Amino acid sequence: MIRKKGITRNIRPLEILSEEQLESIHKNTLDVLENTGIRFESDKALKLFKENDCNVDMEKKIVRFPPWLVEECLRKCPSSFIVKGRGPRSDVRFGGNMSNFLPFPGKDTIDLETWEPRTPTRKEFYDTVKIMDALDTVHYTGSYVPWFGFKNTPAVMQMLEGDAANFRNSTMPLHCNYGNDCEVFAIRMAKALGAVNLGVVAISPPLTYQEDACISAFRNIEAGFPLYIQSGPTYGATSPVTTAGATVTNNAELMGGVVLAQLIKTGTGVLVSDFGFTQNMRSGYPVFGRIESSMHQVVFNQIWRRYKIPIGNHSTGVSNSKRIDYQCGYEKTISLMLSLLSGANEIGYHGCIYGELSFHPIQLILDDDVAATIGRFLQGVEVNDDTLAIDVINQVGPIPGTYLTEEHTRKWWKNEQFIPKSSDSLTYLEWMEANKKDCIEYAKDRMEKILQTHKPEPLSDSEEKAIEEILSEAREFYRKSGKISDKEWEACKEDVNSAGYPYY
Amino acid sequence: MGGIVNMSDTISSLKESIITYNRNLAREMATKAIGEGIEPNDILAGMTETIRKIGDDFGKGELFLPDLVGAASAMSEAISVVEAEIEKSGKEIEKIGTVVLGTVKGDIHDIGKTMVKTFLVAENFRVIDLGVDISSERFIEAIEKYNPEILALSALLTTTIAEQNRIIEVLKDKGIRDKVKVIIGGAATTQEFADEIGADGYEATAARAPRLCKTLLGKE
Ligand code: B12
Repeated sequence: MIRKKGITRNIRPLEILSEEQLESIHKNTLDVLENTGIRFESDKALKLFKENDCNVDMEKKIVRFPPWLVEECLRKCPSSFIVKGRGPRSDVRFGGNMSNFLPFPGKDTIDLETWEPRTPTRKEFYDTVKIMDALDTVHYTGSYVPWFGFKNTPAVMQMLEGDAANFRNSTMPLHCNYGNDCEVFAIRMAKALGAVNLGVVAISPPLTYQEDACISAFRNIEAGFPLYIQSGPTYGATSPVTTAGATVTNNAELMGGVVLAQLIKTGTGVLVSDFGFTQNMRSGYPVFGRIESSMHQVVFNQIWRRYKIPIGNHSTGVSNSKRIDYQCGYEKTISLMLSLLSGANEIGYHGCIYGELSFHPIQLILDDDVAATIGRFLQGVEVNDDTLAIDVINQVGPIPGTYLTEEHTRKWWKNEQFIPKSSDSLTYLEWMEANKKDCIEYAKDRMEKILQTHKPEPLSDSEEKAIEEILSEAREFYRKSGKISDKEWEACKEDVNSAGYPYY
Repeated sequence: MGGIVNMSDTISSLKESIITYNRNLAREMATKAIGEGIEPNDILAGMTETIRKIGDDFGKGELFLPDLVGAASAMSEAISVVEAEIEKSGKEIEKIGTVVLGTVKGDIHDIGKTMVKTFLVAENFRVIDLGVDISSERFIEAIEKYNPEILALSALLTTTIAEQNRIIEVLKDKGIRDKVKVIIGGAATTQEFADEIGADGYEATAARAPRLCKTLLGKE
């Protein structure tokens, strides 16, 4: 198994706030935490806060935080930590000047002729995980990655089916979601494979943690897993519309979660993630890919780097375009560029097209090129005797001198030039002879090649048995508790009993 | 509704408060208008005229969501004062209908539901917004308390749309299914699903909710 390496940033991070601005946001955030507080809809969490010097209104479920406690808990978070997939060399470290990628989920796949969305099949899901496993710039995966479930899966089982598919067809660590107690089964799957998940806790803005989010925090930390805490405001609806104000609510929300994590267990690894978006002030729907999300993320990254806590950016993965086209390309690329330049450690990016609602493997492959391209930029410029090439410059001199014949060129060009795998690099003549192929067609070729040749490391027989047992136990559990309808149950049984199940 | 003809300064200030999204002023002016003895239903009619204009300008693309929501929320503030007065006098409130609205249990998506409320308020519906994560018991309680013609349920998750179905079943069990029309919406729902669970109506957008409600009440 080859270790996938994250992207290293060797250049100074982009920062756009002055020291006073930064300090003002920090101070005001602590004020909001102390005066307005955060709502935690979990008695277990409220009790813990109360025992640890917070001012807790048990009836309204509001926790007000003393600033010293918040600052102490920020200091207690490790500046980097590790998650693990299955097998050796599958670990991923979050923190420092490294950036690791998670594909960004979409609800549906799309038809490349009509661009309309539709539910993917189980086979498409498993195949796409296989492609992710093969790509160098995809470092870890998640419950709803690539899609929010697939055909003939009961709604309540979609997350666990996604987890299983990812564990089966890749060795990568899992960004593991929660809800309806799914995380209990997901944690068992990870344990059966010796994996360490990144346990998700999602905030419900403004300033609220729902009960299941709190329970997810307890369960994951008790399993020894680090947490991924995400705030996802719609600017103007669930946060102030201004970048500064949204940063304050966002950070207050996240700091509440940081305190919870450190109170449950000191030293727990926490990754704070930002997934905010602009609102379309006509339809009320979020508009994805707008520059405000990036302004927000650059500010966010600057502040949390100061706290020395690993940072996630997720607004980077989404466009508002419904097609794989120019808009999709520029919206995703501009925001990824800014996120990487400003030092995000964890980025949701590949594959998604229209904001959380569609994902396609062709987009996944195109995004591999974009991530690698910016990764090349972040390597920075090497300046030393060899790269300065003064001897060669003096020797080649003016015309008719040429560098093409020089050993220096032969030695260095592959190191200097990054070649994207799916871009059109041809001249007009070559392009006409090659049937005017474009990047989408190159990506299609690459996809087919990966599907034919890539073989993910298989699970051992006992591991496979453990995963399938946990899945069937979960199915029975939800069926008995009434969360799977008769219709869903029939479709699910047919799927599970079909030839070739589970298609990997 | 002859009262609007001799429109007082107070009523024009009240209208102004809606146009400028000023909740405090709206409450103050509504209280003042009542103190001046203006017929409560005339106060309501004055506000309706204003919000309709704002709704039209929104429809034309001249105003935006914050304008519409701001105006509707200032108006709701004034309405609560006026309605209390009408109730005291034992008169009938001149409304197209009453809608009990909420996002179902297990689901806290709020934005679309709040838009539905805004558009309904702007079209002179009385809206009881219960909020998000609302259990079937709380919907039933509200139906008993407010006696609405319409129950509007929002759900955005594939795991919570089943709750819309459950609420309809509970209404049947309690023998009150015929008392209200049930409409559903939210990103995870479809017309097909609405038919399947026997809802009375479905709409994909909040802007179309008033039309749907009017049709169901036979008022269009
Ligand atoms: C904002 C958002 C959130 C915010 C909500 C904040 C808030 N206070 O409302 C937060 C971050 C908290 C959140 C949390 C979650 N979310 Co969410 N969220 C979204 C997002 C990005 C936008 C939703 C939105 O506001 N749309 C805008 C409004 C205007 O649209 P709307 O509500 O559909 O309403 C319109 C119409 O449907 C209609 N309408 C709405 N209600 C009604 C009712 C009636 C009667 C009528 C007639 C019409 C009507 O009117 C509106 C305007 O025209 C969507 C993705 C997307 N791109 O849409 C995901 C999405 C809905 N969420 C999703 C998920 C999975 C979750 C979580 C489970 C994730 C997690 N584990 O953290 C949690 C669940 C929390 C819970 N228990 O409810 C999924 C749902 C997938 C599915 N099909 O089940 C989506 C689609 C994203 C995805 N692909 O994963 N979410």
